[in-house]
Amino acid sequence: MYIFVNAIKNIGRNKGRNILMGVIILITITVSIISLCINNTTNSIIDDYKSRFGSEVTIAPDMTKVTRVMNINDVLSARKTTFKAITPQQYLDFARSEYLKEAVITASAGVAGDGIKAVDEDNNQGVIGRAIDSITGSLSGDDYAMPTMTLIGNQWDEFNKGYRKLAEGGKMPENDNECIISKELADLNNLKVGDKIKLKSSVIRISDNNEQEIKNNTVELTITGIFFDATEEYSTQVKISSLNRRNEILTTIDTMFNNFGSLIGVNAKYYLKNPSMLEDFEAELRAKGLDEYYLVSTDEAGYQKVVGPVEGLKKGSLTFMIVVLIFGSIILMVLSSIAVRERKYEIGVLRAMGMKKKKVALGLWLEMLIITALCLAIGFGIGSVVAQPVSDTLLAGQIENAKMAANQGILQGGPMVGSGVLLGRPIEKEPVPLEQVDVSVGMDTIIEMAVIALALASLASLTAITKITKYEPIKILMERN
Amino acid sequence: MDIVSLENVSYQYEGTKKPVLKGVNARFSCSRIYTIVGKSEAGKSTLLSLIAGLDVCTEGDVFYKGTSLKKIDRDDYRAKNIGVIFQGFNLLTNATGIENIVLSMWISGNREKNKKEYAYALLEKVGIDRETANRKVLKMSGGEQQRVCIARALSNNPGIMLADEPTANLDSDNETAVLNILASLARDEGKCVIIATHSQKVASIADEIWGINDGRLLFVKHS
Repeated sequence: MYIFVNAIKNIGRNKGRNILMGVIILITITVSIISLCINNTTNSIIDDYKSRFGSEVTIAPDMTKVTRVMNINDVLSARKTTFKAITPQQYLDFARSEYLKEAVITASAGVAGDGIKAVDEDNNQGVIGRAIDSITGSLSGDDYAMPTMTLIGNQWDEFNKGYRKLAEGGKMPENDNECIISKELADLNNLKVGDKIKLKSSVIRISDNNEQEIKNNTVELTITGIFFDATEEYSTQVKISSLNRRNEILTTIDTMFNNFGSLIGVNAKYYLKNPSMLEDFEAELRAKGLDEYYLVSTDEAGYQKVVGPVEGLKKGSLTFMIVVLIFGSIILMVLSSIAVRERKYEIGVLRAMGMKKKKVALGLWLEMLIITALCLAIGFGIGSVVAQPVSDTLLAGQIENAKMAANQGILQGGPMVGSGVLLGRPIEKEPVPLEQVDVSVGMDTIIEMAVIALALASLASLTAITKITKYEPIKILMERN
Repeated sequence: MDIVSLENVSYQYEGTKKPVLKGVNARFSCSRIYTIVGKSEAGKSTLLSLIAGLDVCTEGDVFYKGTSLKKIDRDDYRAKNIGVIFQGFNLLTNATGIENIVLSMWISGNREKNKKEYAYALLEKVGIDRETANRKVLKMSGGEQQRVCIARALSNNPGIMLADEPTANLDSDNETAVLNILASLARDEGKCVIIATHSQKVASIADEIWGINDGRLLFVKHS
């Protein structure tokens, strides 16, 4: 205890020297705190994005291979010979993989009501007629059930997000041929829970001899619930009933597969347990019959575009921290070495009084530790205020660099970023780089910094401690006297 | 009973050709004052350093109560059994007088509960009041520093008190005061007081006077 008390008193007794040491430690610690804050925040961002970009698998036609074998003048026949489309059953098979942490498969089909009317169905007049004519051509328009509503299997996102809510008395579909409908659709047709609705679906098939034929399918579903819908009715300017979200009839995926077979559009999202499992997962898909013209990939380009500047920021701050730590340590060791030389006499006196070397060393280490702890407290204060503006400035620089690099890439004919349109896949938004990183002093930063500070104080004291072990008290005192 | 004894002790500083002490044999007892006289650089301070356990003899052995210093922890020995009044005081100059004493008590493991009050009492005994005791050593006169040094040497209640030219920096009044304190330590408190000096006045208070000549310790006289 007395060593600790004496260490505190010694700090006050040698103000000038300790202030100088304190300033060096404070600078080193503050820079390290800022760097660690940025590093830890960017780490969590990168991990988050890595898992998002790296684990969601895209299965899309490999356009390079497709265009190489396609006869441009006979696209349709080429597709028949080169492509084996993924069947709904295959989508389900693919989902049964040990490499996946999650698979979300939704299916949809455009349907027309048999005896029920869709919301805004009146808007379809004219549009529908022209559409049927253009689709059916020479076929009889009466046979074709133009979709006025959408039947969707396994899409419950809006319920999870709170945009849709089941009305009291209803339940979600659990069994085959059960469905839920929007309140608007129910009100329009005086439907209630327990009622049955008939839905018709038509698909035009091209036969082997290149003739078109209409294939119809009818399904009868029981309404198990009615939901309130707060989603946007239309996401486009075109206001036809099949695009109105109030006309979405929600059912199970099995209902879709069992009743419509291959007549549905399937949207499958596969999430890997770990991005590194991509190769193994692809091998499994190939074994399960995935055509070679399909590309299995994660969105690496999107990841790079979004996270690239943040990674640059992380690397930059980390490098800066390491440099400052190295220089800070060297300066501290030199200062400490000079300080212990100045304090040689004091050490001689203490040793002459009978204080053991290890206790003298402990005292010196405690002095450095106390100074470091004070600097750490001040450093956290400064760091938490300064880290955000420093991060913003550095990130702005990284974004600018990334933009310049991207522009150069385009000029040199480099790869385009973003998925665009891939054979019927929806147009995805171009990934936007992260322009703001919210830096904060977290517990991980505090722990890491405490360890670094402890190491810094110990390293600085080590020089002094090594020196004092060489001093014999009588020699120090004789030199002085 | 001998509290400390030297048997055939020799000492030679590194890098020198001639030993400063040669085959020294001596015995020192409690309640007595010994003075060691000799010319400058005769080896008086070296002899005290060896007895104090601050240095180790190159030949022979120093015994404390019959045990060789080579067999005991010299740091502990210094802290608990030896009080040294250095010629150059050797105080912590940026600390106060009282801090010097209290720290010495902590190092020696003194179990006094109120160390500060005990230290004030010690300082008062050697003529240092509280106000002076709370001054930094650097701001004290030579006499005051010497008294603080004596108080520090007493703070661990040692059996042996070593004093190296304890009055060299003092005026006549202070010299008398310090000698009275040293004499009292031997006569009243039963300590073994060994003083290295070339002052006749200091030698006059000794029970035994020893002299060092050409590295040899010779008994001179009983006072």
